[in-house]
Formats: sequence, C-alpha cells, structure tokens
Amino acid sequence: MAPGKKITARIKKTLPVRGPQAPTLRELMRWYCLNTNTHGCRRIVVSRGRLRRFIWILLTLSAVGLILWQCAELLLNYYSASVSVTVQFQKLPFPAVTICNINPYKYSSMKDYLSELDKETKKALETFYGFSEGKSKVRRAAGDWNGTESLFLRQIPLLRLENSFRTAIDFRSGRKRKVEGSVFHKDSSIVNSGDSNDIIGFQLCDANNSSECALYTFSSGVNAIQEWYKLHYMNIMAQIPLETKEELSYSADDLLLTCFFDGLSCDKRHFTRFHHPLHGNCYTFNSGENGTVLSTSTGGSEYGLQVVLYIDEADYNPFLVTSSGAKIIVHDQDEYPFIEDIGTEIETAAATSIGMHFTRSRKLSKPYSDCTETGADIPVENLYNKSYSLQICLHSCFQKAMVESCGCAQYAQPLPNGAEYCNYKKYPNWMYCYYRLHEKFVKEQLGCQQICKDACSFKEWALTTSIAQWPSTASEDWMLRVLSWDKGQKINKKLNKTDLANLMVFYKDLNERFISENPANTIVILLSNFGGQLGLWMSCSVVCVIEIIEVFFIDSFSIVMRRQWQKAKKWWNDRKRDRTGKPPEVGDEEQQGHDNPACIDEDLPTFNTALRLPMPQEGHLPRTPPPNYSTLRLETAFTEQLPDTLEAEQH
Amino acid sequence: MSARGDASPVSPSSCSDLIFPLADTRMNLKKYFVRALHRLQKGPGYTYKELLVWYCDNTNTHGPKRIIKEGPKKKVMWFFLTLLFASLVFWQWGILINTYLSYDVTSSLSIGFKTMKFPAVTVCNANPFKYSEVKPLLKELDKLIEAALERILQPTHGDPISPLLLNGSNTTEGLDLELWNQIPLVLIDEQDKDNPVIVEIFETNQSAAGNQTAAPPAPTNVTSEEKKYKLAVKLCSHQGSNNCTYRNFTSAAQAVTEWYILQSTSILSKVPLQERIRMGYQAEDMILACLYGAEPCNYKNFTQIYHPDHGNCYIFNWGMDKEALNSSNPGAEFGLKLILDISQQDYIPYLSSAAGARLMLHQQKSFPFLKDQGIYAMAGTETSIGVLVDELERMGYPYSDCTMNGSDVPVKNLYSEYNTSYSIQACLRSCFQNHMTEICGCGHYMFPLPEGVTYCNNEDNPGWAYCYSSLRSSIRHRQICIDSCKETCNDTQYKMTISMADWPSEASEDWIFHILSYERDMSTNVTLDRNGIIKLNIYFQEYNYRTISESAATTIVWLLSSLGGQFGFWMGGSVLCLIEFGEIIIDSLWITIINIISWCKGLKQKRVRAQYPDMPPTVSELVEAHTNLGFQHEEASAATQGEALPPEPGTPPPNYDSLRVQPARNPGTDSDTESEEQRPAANHHEDASVRAE
Repeated sequence: MAPGKKITARIKKTLPVRGPQAPTLRELMRWYCLNTNTHGCRRIVVSRGRLRRFIWILLTLSAVGLILWQCAELLLNYYSASVSVTVQFQKLPFPAVTICNINPYKYSSMKDYLSELDKETKKALETFYGFSEGKSKVRRAAGDWNGTESLFLRQIPLLRLENSFRTAIDFRSGRKRKVEGSVFHKDSSIVNSGDSNDIIGFQLCDANNSSECALYTFSSGVNAIQEWYKLHYMNIMAQIPLETKEELSYSADDLLLTCFFDGLSCDKRHFTRFHHPLHGNCYTFNSGENGTVLSTSTGGSEYGLQVVLYIDEADYNPFLVTSSGAKIIVHDQDEYPFIEDIGTEIETAAATSIGMHFTRSRKLSKPYSDCTETGADIPVENLYNKSYSLQICLHSCFQKAMVESCGCAQYAQPLPNGAEYCNYKKYPNWMYCYYRLHEKFVKEQLGCQQICKDACSFKEWALTTSIAQWPSTASEDWMLRVLSWDKGQKINKKLNKTDLANLMVFYKDLNERFISENPANTIVILLSNFGGQLGLWMSCSVVCVIEIIEVFFIDSFSIVMRRQWQKAKKWWNDRKRDRTGKPPEVGDEEQQGHDNPACIDEDLPTFNTALRLPMPQEGHLPRTPPPNYSTLRLETAFTEQLPDTLEAEQH
Repeated sequence: MSARGDASPVSPSSCSDLIFPLADTRMNLKKYFVRALHRLQKGPGYTYKELLVWYCDNTNTHGPKRIIKEGPKKKVMWFFLTLLFASLVFWQWGILINTYLSYDVTSSLSIGFKTMKFPAVTVCNANPFKYSEVKPLLKELDKLIEAALERILQPTHGDPISPLLLNGSNTTEGLDLELWNQIPLVLIDEQDKDNPVIVEIFETNQSAAGNQTAAPPAPTNVTSEEKKYKLAVKLCSHQGSNNCTYRNFTSAAQAVTEWYILQSTSILSKVPLQERIRMGYQAEDMILACLYGAEPCNYKNFTQIYHPDHGNCYIFNWGMDKEALNSSNPGAEFGLKLILDISQQDYIPYLSSAAGARLMLHQQKSFPFLKDQGIYAMAGTETSIGVLVDELERMGYPYSDCTMNGSDVPVKNLYSEYNTSYSIQACLRSCFQNHMTEICGCGHYMFPLPEGVTYCNNEDNPGWAYCYSSLRSSIRHRQICIDSCKETCNDTQYKMTISMADWPSEASEDWIFHILSYERDMSTNVTLDRNGIIKLNIYFQEYNYRTISESAATTIVWLLSSLGGQFGFWMGGSVLCLIEFGEIIIDSLWITIINIISWCKGLKQKRVRAQYPDMPPTVSELVEAHTNLGFQHEEASAATQGEALPPEPGTPPPNYDSLRVQPARNPGTDSDTESEEQRPAANHHEDASVRAE
C-alpha cells in the first residue's frame, strides 16, 4: 500500500467514529435497543419466544402512542387560564360619582331656541290625537300656525299610515299619498297589522335623491313624537356653542343642595363639571382632576357620599324628557361615564341608598383571550380622553363611520379632529344618513363589534339600591323649611318635596374582591408534565429523544446512504470492468474498509465489535490488567494507610 | 517481629493509657474505625477517574452513560449536553420550589340550587323610638331646636344685617340654655371670606365674653347671592374653654340633624336599657303578618335585639336557640312574607328624616350591622327581594391573611356579649369603642360597652362630643383599626335583587287595612295607612348559591411530581439517582481522605529518608518522590512507590491489626513517661523500622 494511503487509513482508524457504528440497519437497531435508556425496547431484543416478543412490541408501541396522546393534550391545554379570587380588606379609593339631572337644560332658558319646534309639536299632537293643552296656552295659535312656515314638519314629515303601509296621510297637507321606499319599524319588527290604523311614523328622504326614502314607523305615538322631536332637538343643539350650552344647563349650585362625605361637609368645589351632550351639565364627585382621589376607610352609610339634589321639575322639557329625577353613575376616575347607557335613576321625594361592593377583574391578554390592555392595538381612534373601554371603542367607531359616510359628526358623541356636528342647514341629508348607518351598526354590518375588544382589566362597583321615603311625614315640615333656607339664599321659593332627591352612596364593606386570571400552565409545569408522561410510560427523557434522533435519523440515514453509495460504486465498477475487462476488486474492498471502520476487521461485524468501536484509545487498554484487581488493591491501600489512620486518631 | 518489639516502647499509645480498661475501650474503638474504613473502602474505585467512569457507566441518569459510551467528539458533545440538562433541571427546580413557597391558591366556582339555610332576616324601623314615648325626654331639645330654627330662618326674609342678637330675652324664655350651651349651634357669616364672623344664635352670658367678634356693619347693598350664612356645631373640649372647633356644614339641614343626634345620644345614654326597649317599637305592633313558605308564623318567631341605631330590631331565623330553617324551593311562594307597620306619624322629627323599614339579610348567629349592609323598604310598597348566597371560602394562613374565628385578632370583640360570631364590622366597631374609652373616658352610645365603662353624656363628660368628633375624623385611628382587624376566611354575602311595586293597590286598600287593623288592635276602625305599611317578600332565586372556594394550587404532592417530572424530562432521573450521586460524593470524599493520608505519609517518608545519611536517596529518587507527591493517579503512585520502596508488597503482615495492637498495649503502661515532643520522632522510628524489615 502506498504510504499516503496508509496514513489516511491510520487517521481513519484513530479518528472518532463518525456516523453509524453498525454496518447494517438491523445491527444498528439491535445496538440501539440494547443500549438505549428507554425501557421497552430492550425487552423486545432480549425476550425469547415469538409471542413474548410480540407482546413487548405491542406494549412499547402503545406506550409511545400514549405518550404522544398525553403530550398533545398537554400542549393543547397549555393556553388555559385559571381564575383566582383574592379578597382584601383595606382602605378603598372612593369611585367617581357622576350626577346629572335627567333634564339636560332649563326649559325656561331654552325657550328661545325651541319655541318653534314646540309649537309645531303641539300642533302635530292636536291634529293626530286631538290633544290640546290647558288654559294657559289656549291662545295657541290657529292663526299663527298658518302664517308660520312649518319648517320642521316639512323637513321630516310625520305620517299616519294606512292600508298596510301603502298609503299615508301627510300631517301637514292632510293629503293621502303613496309611500315609497322601505319601511323600518323602529319599535319592534313584530308590528301586528291589526291595528295598523294607529301606526304613526316619519319619513326620511335622501336629499340628493328624493326617490330614496325610508319610512320609520312606531307602534305608539309617544315614541314617534319623542323620536321626531329628538331629531330636531339635536339639530338645533348642534348649532349652539358649548359655552352657551353649559350656561343653559344647571350649575352646581342649582343641582346640589347639601353634600356630606366621610362624615365631613363638602361643597361644589369637590365636584367637577362635565358636559354631556344629552344630559347637559353633570357633576362628578371625586373626579380626581386635581390629582387627589378621596378614599374611605370606613364602610357604612354615614361615611359615604350623601347629597340632596334639587330637581326643578317645573323647568323640565315636556317632550324631550318624560321622567323626572336624577341619574347617577359610579365609575372609575379614568373611565368615561356613559350615563345614558348605564346610569341609575334616582327618584324624587325619596332617599336612595346605594351600597357598593368593589370588584376588580383582570383577564389575561393575547394568547389566552382576546382582550386589550390599553386599547393601543385597536385601529379605532379613542375620541374620549379617558382610558379605553369597549363602549368608548364602539362609540368612537360609529362616530368615525358617521363622519366618513355622512360628512358630519353625530351630536351625542365627541367630535373627531376636523369634523363638526351635523345640523340640517349644512348637511340636509344627515338624518337619513344617520338612520341608515345606525341600522347598519345595530345589525353589526359596520364591523365595529368585530374590531372592538373588551378591556383586560376593569373595575366594577356592584350596587345594591334601595329606596326609603324622604322626608318622612314627621320631619317633612322642618326639613323643607331648612332646605329652603339653604337654597333660599339664592332663590326665594319654598321647596316642594318632589323637587328634592336624597342620595347616599357608600361602601357596604371595605372588602376589595380581585378576580384575576392566571396562566394555568407555565413552561416549567408543561415540561414537568412532559417529563412525567415520558418517564411514566417509557422511562424516557430528552436524552432518549436525542438518542432516537441520532439513531433513527442520522445513523440510519447514513447507513442507507452508504449502502446506496456502495451499490452505485459496484455498479460503476461492473460497468468499468465490462468495458476494460480488468477486475478492480481490491480497490473496492479497500474503499469499503475505509468508509466503514467496522469492516477493517476481517471478522464479521458483530454486536460486540460495534460496541467496542467507540472507544478507540489504545492507551486505556493496559489500564485494566491484573494489577488493578480490586482485591489486591484493597489490601495495599490498607496496609499503607493503617498506621496513618491510627496516628491520626491518637493525635 | 523483633522490629515490632523494638518499636513497641515508642508505640503511638499515648500517655493517657494508664488504666487497662480504658486502654481496652480505646483499642476497641480503633478497631471499630478501622473496620468501618474497610467497609467504606469497598467503593467502586480508588481514583477519581475510576470512580467517575464507574458512576457514569452504572448510573440510572441518562446523560452520563453516553459520555462514556461515545467517541471523543461525541463525548464532548454529550458532556456539554449533560451539563446543560443538569443546569436546566436545577434552574427549573428553583422555579418550582419558589412557586410552591408562594402559596398560591386556585379558586373553584360553583353555582346552582341546593337546600340551604334561609338567611337570618333583621327588620327594624328606621326610627329608633316612638316619639310619643320619648317626648318627655326630648321635649327640651325640641323646643330649643324649634326656637333656633325660628331664628335662623328669620333673616332670609328680613333685613340683611343679622338680627339674631336682638330681642333675645323674650324668646329664650323657657328654654333650657344649659343644655344648649353644652353643644351650641352657631351661624357663620361668610360675607367676608377671610374673616368669617361667628354669630351665636342665643345670646347668653358666656358667649358675650368669648370669641364673638363684633359684627362689622355689612354693606347695605349686599345682594342676596353674596349673603351666605353657614350653620356650624361648636364643639369644645370642655365647657367655657377656648379650645373649640366649629364643624362646618354646607347645609343647615345636615347641621341640625348632626346636632340633634349628638344631643339626643347624650340624653338617651342615661336611660336604662329596659326603658329604651320599652320606648321602641314592640314586635306585635310592628310585625302584622308573617308567612314562611306555607307555614304561618308570627311575631313570636322573631328574636328581639336592641340596636342602638334603630331601637328594637327583630330577627327572624337567627338560629340562636332553635335550628335554622331550611329552604328547599326557589321562588316567592316558598320564601318569607312579612307585613310591617312603621307608623310614620310617631317618628322623631329631627332624628331620622328617611322613613321606612330597615332590613338586612345576614348569616345565622351574626350581628346585623344595619348601617353598613342594611337596605330600606319604602312605606306603601311591596318589596321583593330575590336572594343569592354568595359564599367565599378561603384558606387561612399561610395562603391568605384571614382569620377563622377572630381569636387571633388583637382587638377585644365587644359584640361577643350578643353571643354572635366574629365579623370585620364587629372588630372595627370594637376597636373604635376601645379607643374612645381610652381617650375620652367613656363609651359611645352606638356601640356596646367594655367592662366598667359608662356611656358618654353631657353632664359627666362635658367634652365628649369634641373628643368623639376629633376621634371620628382622625385618619390615624381608623388606620390602626383597619390594620389590626382581619377579615373572616369564610365570607357569606347575600346578593339581593330588589324590585318594588305599590302595595296595597287602590282597589284592595280598604279591606286590607281593615283586616290588619282589626287583627292588631281588635278595633273596627282603620288604624293603619299607606304611610306606614310595608310588604316584604324574601325568597331564594332560581340559583341560590354561588360558592367560590379556594384550594392550594401547589401541594407537596404537586411539588414532588413536578420536580420528578423535570428531572425525568431532562435526564430521566429519579430520587434514586440523587442517592447514587450522593454516594459518589461520599466515595470521592473518601478517596480524597485516602489521598491526603498517603500524601502525608509520602511527606514523612521523604523526611525519614532525609534523616538517614547512610541511605542517601539518589537524585532521581528525590525527583520521583517530589513529583509523585501530588499524584492522584493511583496506578502511577503505586508504581512509583513500588519503585522507590521495592519491598512494599511485603509489608502488610506486620501491619495487621492484631499484631500491632497487642504489643502496643503492654509496653504502653511504662511508656507514659515519654514526653509529647518525642513522639513524632518515635513515629519516624517506627516507620523506619518497618521499612527496614
């Protein structure tokens, strides 16, 4: 052999074994089964008898199946959350309490703006229902009526429908006319046709295309008139600047007669004004505006907020508001009070006591559930300068759609940048557009409900409301006198019981309940569970997995590749020999030997040779000879040590 | 053998071996240790390397075996893998143990309907006493406040300059000004914001000299908006002193009520309890009809309790002397139905302005804290209350800081006199009362009394109102109470769904009033009216319980299985593997000891060799010895030793225990004279002699 070849052969010999240690797949499998750390496999190889071996194969396979199944379960359940409830007794921050009069603006001061509309409304009531007000307005003006332009009714005609919505009587002209366009039932979709005579509604038409009309019908005239009135009212209010509106509404002095918090007297300075488009001036107690949030360290009605509200019922708008009292909402300082949606109504001539119970909740965000922490990931601009909530998102989303499709903003919600509120003068088409859009919104066609997610953490005050008569008959007399005196420094008027509402908001107990979702599994626990499963069924670990990868993929692959290579080589050589007639057997054998160190031996590759192969260091071999026998060594070790140990003890 | 004999006089048996038996035990001890050493030496190997190889080959942990079995390159890979997995295991164990020590809990929620104890129902009148009964006591007070109101309300109609000081003499006739001056009401004129003027309502001798500044003549063109009077309660630490505070009120109504409460508590606190109970509403007057499920009940089924806020209260199903009633059906038909009369005409006008019944649902054997958790029921209505029992069962220490029965709370529970269980409200009130008795010297009328203390009243404790109101507004004291009171672990709340309707209806009004009046008063006249009558329905909802119960999220079983899982996952190990590992550490310790000993011995041999000039070691020997000192390789050292000391294999026989021990014993008795200093040398002698052999 050439010296170069010799060197390479030696290098190959001394080099660590690369790739497969067994020459054939069968050997490899056998080697694996005998040496693996997993339990089942060894039994298969070791067992004698076909049945026993078969049973072991079956058991091993079922164990593998079980592992796969259980681990899949574990993986699938990984993103589950468990709920924990903690109760803490502590000094609690008092929530913000927003109080509004149900009537948004003083009717007396709104007269200038609304007199025309009211006149027309009364007229409509008279024509439809034969209603006429009492004596005071008896000089209602039949004469006036014909003279003035019935502006509002022309804009949106009120109609009485007959003949199953096909014909309608126009209120203004008294003429019958055919109804075109689609019919929308505002009240309910199940309007029985039996009393179709009484159905009243109004028609909204696209100003650009008058054939495009929508008819809104109501089963009751009360709703129809109110809705119709509201449309016009919003039109009018949209044109009034905010400062004027704030002046038209109630001042803190008007609304609040007395105030008492945490056993101490409070006054209007503790309240922050907040203008709500539909409820006028509202006042928020403890709004946290000046940076401090009041807190209470004692529960019970004495230590909460106690206010007496002055509800001037005589100054109510008769068409806009039909109930009397106040509306309150308990909310967090960062939250926007959606008083029209979730307010609690307060009765007059009664003491309403509201016991609160505080609950804080936190959900887990992304992989666990679909909620948002700050709302920053929602593609809807937050029009309210308060922290994110689902309500805010929905309203903002609707407003955005409104500005996009109608060109102006709806009155009840804040203005987006660069938009203005809708009014009839500038946007004659907006009402039709609004109704259409609202219809879509309710039917979830705008996609707002899909975009908006609920907030991950929220605070909730569960309210228990109860009502007592106030003032009691025994105390009514002096109470009203004293309250009149309080008030009387401003208004010279004796108060009536029905003008007053007493409100108490307090913590029932200072227990804060905190409900939070926690991940049920951490990665550590998942791995532990995996380990438990693997260990239980097969005594397997990651090491086994690596073994399996090593043996089944890398080694087997290289064995197969080697086989293919040899075959190809043989085929090539055969062809060559056929061509040249020279048999190159030696080279072939050599080649094989070099490729596979196991084949260097002349002996057939047995399992044992395969085993010994990975320890190629010759130097270790002499280590094992006889002198190292433990028996011998033991004695020498002791004879040497004995005196030393004895001495050590003596010292 | 002779060498043995020579060595014996200088044998290591020390000077203390005077007495035979003692020496005997010492020798036995030595034998024992020697044997123990023998036994321990039967380890897997004698060098660190052998030990490690043996361990890796035989351990049940998965990684190490591969290190041995694979070729050098893979060996390195497997070594690092094993190291990595081992560190992973330890890291994750740390996390698991941390999790365990954080004592997390998991909560489980269950909702449904089951037969449950019907809650205890406390009903009270919002007004504590019948006015007709307490009128004699409060007559003076009423006269005072009426006169005061007369004067306060007057100026709004009159001229702007306060006329209060004028014509004082004729209206103050017949008024108990002594009572007034204990806690007087004053008017504060805030026309000038910076310099408010305090105006006394009744001119008395004391006030003339005191803090009343001369009212500056107000500008005559004061508009009604600018004129602002405020009513305040003047509280002094003791009468006539200048240490006074004015409690301001934005509203006169509030001030009057507050003043009246302070004064009336002072008066009522002097009245004995029996008398107070008599003055309150009696059960038969108040509870007109009662029906529990289908069973009729009456006022006798109620337990009377005196509540300082509301006078006589009546508790249904308190469970104090009888078993609590169960309710096994949802719905109004199976609940409690009550008709109450609160007789609004008999209300004390200045004390309570709200009229109605106060009721509360609470647990059996617990005290009703109506001011906190009570609700109102309005007169002339039917109030339906659907109940959902909201239970919270928590684990105590160390999972959460709550108390099972209040025994570990450092506040004396004053409500235990009612024989009721601990609650946080009871604790807070007891805490306040304890502070009050400490600081003010008397107890507040609204809370139970500690032993040996009386209720506050104006005569005995003139400064009590000042003391009380400063204590009440003291944040510090409240915080102390909050910190010292703990909530209970099992918390039951009754969630109520309240709805109301007018009752009785106009059509049925007549006959209902007639029958109820007849039943109560045995008279055919109608003695009831809409303003006094209340109907209550209290029943379980369709789902009547919601239980949140806590359980430990991490138990010791959880910890062990997770630890095992981690160890198994990364390395396929178990506790036995840990024991194996511990064994190896002990073995290697022994090897270290042996090595140290042999090293010491090597050192001595070197010295001995140095001492004997007749046997000079060759340079190569010295070098050999020197380099071999640190040898840990057993083979190598054995080989070198064999080289340096050829007769080494022959040495064992004289070193046998039996041989060594015997000669050491006898001559040990006469070798005691040998000094301690000589011994090391003697040892060397012995060693030398042994070697010479």
